[in-house]
Amino acid sequence: MLVIFLLLWELVPRTGLLPELFLPSLSSTLDVLYQDWRIYAAALWVTLYEVALAMLIACAGGIAAGAVVGGIARLRQLLLPVFSSLYAVPIVILYPVFTAWFGVGSESKVAFAGIYAFFPVMLSTAAGIRTIDPQFLLAARSMGATLTQQVTRVIIPASLPTVFAGLRLGGALAIIGVVVAEMLTAAAGIGYLVTLNRTILDSPRVFAALLMILILSVAYYLLARAVESRFIVWQSAGKELPSTV
Amino acid sequence: MAGVIHAIEVEGLSHVYGGAVSALENISFSVAAGRFTVIVGPSGCGKTSLLMMLAGLRAQSQGTILCQGRPIPGPDPQRVGVIFQEASLYPWLTAVENIEFPLSLRGTPKNERRKRAGAMLELVGLAGFGERYPHELSGGMKQRVSIARGLVQDPPVLLMDEPFAALDEQTRMTMGHELLRIWSTTSKTVVFITHSLTEAVYLADEVLVMSARPGRIIDRIAVPLPRPRSYDMMATDVFGRLRDRIWQQIRKTP
Repeated sequence: MLVIFLLLWELVPRTGLLPELFLPSLSSTLDVLYQDWRIYAAALWVTLYEVALAMLIACAGGIAAGAVVGGIARLRQLLLPVFSSLYAVPIVILYPVFTAWFGVGSESKVAFAGIYAFFPVMLSTAAGIRTIDPQFLLAARSMGATLTQQVTRVIIPASLPTVFAGLRLGGALAIIGVVVAEMLTAAAGIGYLVTLNRTILDSPRVFAALLMILILSVAYYLLARAVESRFIVWQSAGKELPSTV
Repeated sequence: MAGVIHAIEVEGLSHVYGGAVSALENISFSVAAGRFTVIVGPSGCGKTSLLMMLAGLRAQSQGTILCQGRPIPGPDPQRVGVIFQEASLYPWLTAVENIEFPLSLRGTPKNERRKRAGAMLELVGLAGFGERYPHELSGGMKQRVSIARGLVQDPPVLLMDEPFAALDEQTRMTMGHELLRIWSTTSKTVVFITHSLTEAVYLADEVLVMSARPGRIIDRIAVPLPRPRSYDMMATDVFGRLRDRIWQQIRKTP
């Protein structure tokens, strides 16, 4: 499948089915990466740095806020509808404000992507805590678990799968947020290279940047899955063996 | 009753929800140490609430509960162990880790934990299944793990809240029989809740019959069948009469 895709990418522009301006061939795209690898590596470094910081903010803030909102019934009734509807707002409209507050450097990208990724993390953490089977806690209490033990030994492990799902989505949104922000206003990063080269109609350089973003996203996804399956062995719950007493 | 040691004594217990709905009304009974008592009643009669109160997991509005001669204001796993329906096993822990869980809460050293959990696993007939996760076990096996988790803390009193309700009829009968085997090797006092009449008669020394809400105890039936119980006792006249008597009592109340 991938081979066919790459072959088409090479052959379609070569045979003149599409002009190179619309779709530069794979070889010319790779050639750009080879020639300009310093520029692309530096841009990737900036983007990775911003994504990492944004993820950190989203994880820490999202898990903390989600735990509080999910754990306390009154706050949940009050705040969850607000957060859920805020999640639907295209936060990108706020980006110009962020550049005014934080400047055009990395800070505005980190802040924007951090908030963008905050919502799924926070909402899924709240959902993960809210949907814990009350029997789990009742059983823990009957076995003499203290409040701290109920949190560390039951609530945290029980909500982990849902929290991880939120982190995976949040991480993906952090990448999107950083790249979009870089495309809008920036002087560095992969997203900046896309915009810069698009304005001068240098298609191979645009596609080289796109290719890097694609690879970055796929690499992130694979990493997230690997971490998740390491920590959570019991997600296949529900598949039961035939009833043998 | 002089000379009899009571593991559980309930006196004048009533419970009212939200100041209006009467759930339990003037319940009094006692369970002698080492006896197997089954509470049976229609759904919604408050039998689970009663059990939660015996476990110190819920407060009653009125009346006293003595467990081993002392009140039980909160959960006390040294005195009372609770066995729930299968859903309460922790899916992120293996079978043996689930059994160890109550011990690890108390800070029992790892070696001793493993040893005791291993012994329990063997007692409930699951030797070799310790590393399985709950989702890798059948319903009956999960319930065996639950029983082992209740027993591992070695409390003198075991409360069981419809532990076999989620199992199919055949597995349920087998598990009841297994429970009696395990119980006979210990000297535990058991209070077992069910809505199955057959299960009640098969397991119990004494059956307490509860009415629909507000829950009251409307009959106490001693089961004179000898132990160990066997499946062919179900076909006897005595078994049939006892079962029928419970059914008549439950049917009578609206």
